[in-house]
Amino acid sequence: MRRASPATPLRRLLLALPLLLCSAAQQPRDAEKDTTSILQANYLYNIAKLVEWRDEGMRQGNFIIGVIGGANLYQELIKQYSTRTIGKQPIEVRKLPRSPEVERCHILFVGKSELAVLPELFKRMQGKPTMIITEYAGALEDGAVVNFVKVDNLLKYELSMANARRHGLVVGLTLKNLAHRVEE
Amino acid sequence: MAPRILITCAVALLAVALRAQDPLVEALRKYQAGDLPGARSLIDEAVVTDAHARDPEAWLLRGFVYKDFYKSRAGSTEGDAARDTALGSLYRTIELDRDSTYRENAVQAYEFLARSCFNDAAKALTDGNDPRAVELFDAYREAVLRLDPHQDMRARETEFANALGTLYTRRFNEDRTRTEWFEKAADTYRGVLRIDPDNYGANYNLATLFYNMGVYRIRELQAEADIITMQQVQQVAREYFQLALPFMLKAHDMNPARGETLLGLEGIYYSLQDEMNSEKFRRLYEALPPQGER
Repeated sequence: MRRASPATPLRRLLLALPLLLCSAAQQPRDAEKDTTSILQANYLYNIAKLVEWRDEGMRQGNFIIGVIGGANLYQELIKQYSTRTIGKQPIEVRKLPRSPEVERCHILFVGKSELAVLPELFKRMQGKPTMIITEYAGALEDGAVVNFVKVDNLLKYELSMANARRHGLVVGLTLKNLAHRVEE
Repeated sequence: MAPRILITCAVALLAVALRAQDPLVEALRKYQAGDLPGARSLIDEAVVTDAHARDPEAWLLRGFVYKDFYKSRAGSTEGDAARDTALGSLYRTIELDRDSTYRENAVQAYEFLARSCFNDAAKALTDGNDPRAVELFDAYREAVLRLDPHQDMRARETEFANALGTLYTRRFNEDRTRTEWFEKAADTYRGVLRIDPDNYGANYNLATLFYNMGVYRIRELQAEADIITMQQVQQVAREYFQLALPFMLKAHDMNPARGETLLGLEGIYYSLQDEMNSEKFRRLYEALPPQGER
């Protein structure tokens, strides 16, 4: 069981929460110009295609992408990807409430405005076949499989192979090779 | 005595007869009577005669006749041609009028016509007719500089070019696949900044143009695009965001309390994945007093 010690990035992040929550209260960005959400949606779709879920139960029914926070990302996923499939599984995009009680999801994205739920969420999702994707520094150490990072004015992602294994996910070589950083 | 009177009368009659045949006099009569086509034909005839080819009065009358003709046909090709002729004739008046007898009238009419070129250029832009607008603005510039080669045209040049750039931008926004309008808009704004690097409108508009192009590049990304393609698109978009930044910063420096540049910088930094600066400008924007109190 991984736990966030006082020195972990998550701990540091929790200390910074009041500031982040303030920014969460600001006016939502125009979705049409939210370039980060457009890119994240495309990443999520590609990640879904390049990862295999070992759990038999996850290979049936809809392919569920849950979104906590990230209102524009949710909209973008609905607009561009909700009629597509991953393999034979139709994509279903769900906007989830700010709660660590998460139903069955293949991919769960937690936006930076919703970091307060993460410590409990990581705890509850341990060993479950859900890929948690985040967007804050040090997220891989806390348990995320994929974390969006900003490098040279570009949006990239880092990947934890160890966390992927813990969730029963087989990461394809392409996804691994194109990552900005890989934690084995 | 009687023969002398007869001779005097004969000379006077001859003079009247000759004067009656003078096309300048006839043209003036027709002009005063409101017969513009008649006046135009006669004055054209007059200015090529030896008697009037260097006569400022004849050229002044020609300038007025053609000016009125332009006013009656404004907006048409015929009207444009009449205005050109009027401007040429009035300028000839000024050149020939050594003792400045007609100068004031000629200059006043000349300036009216030059201004009308600028106003018609602006109207053509409003109507979306950029070739005509450019042609008319060139005519305006030529007319003004012919009269005063040292005239400072920068304010008018930048005013017109900014409006032209806005028209090209509008066309590009209507159809983002027509990148020629993007190029034209960028070139036009760059032209303004060559004349006046501190032009707020051109700095802001150029920044917005580049920013929108970057957003468009990302927006047009196909849902099916793989990660490599997406990252390539992202790099192209980044170049546009980086191009936009210095112009938006400059516009902001010129007017730090302007909400549009604060929001512009917030958006550019956001797209450059620079959260800290994006947040900084978002806060500056939110700290602005309400619209009516700025």
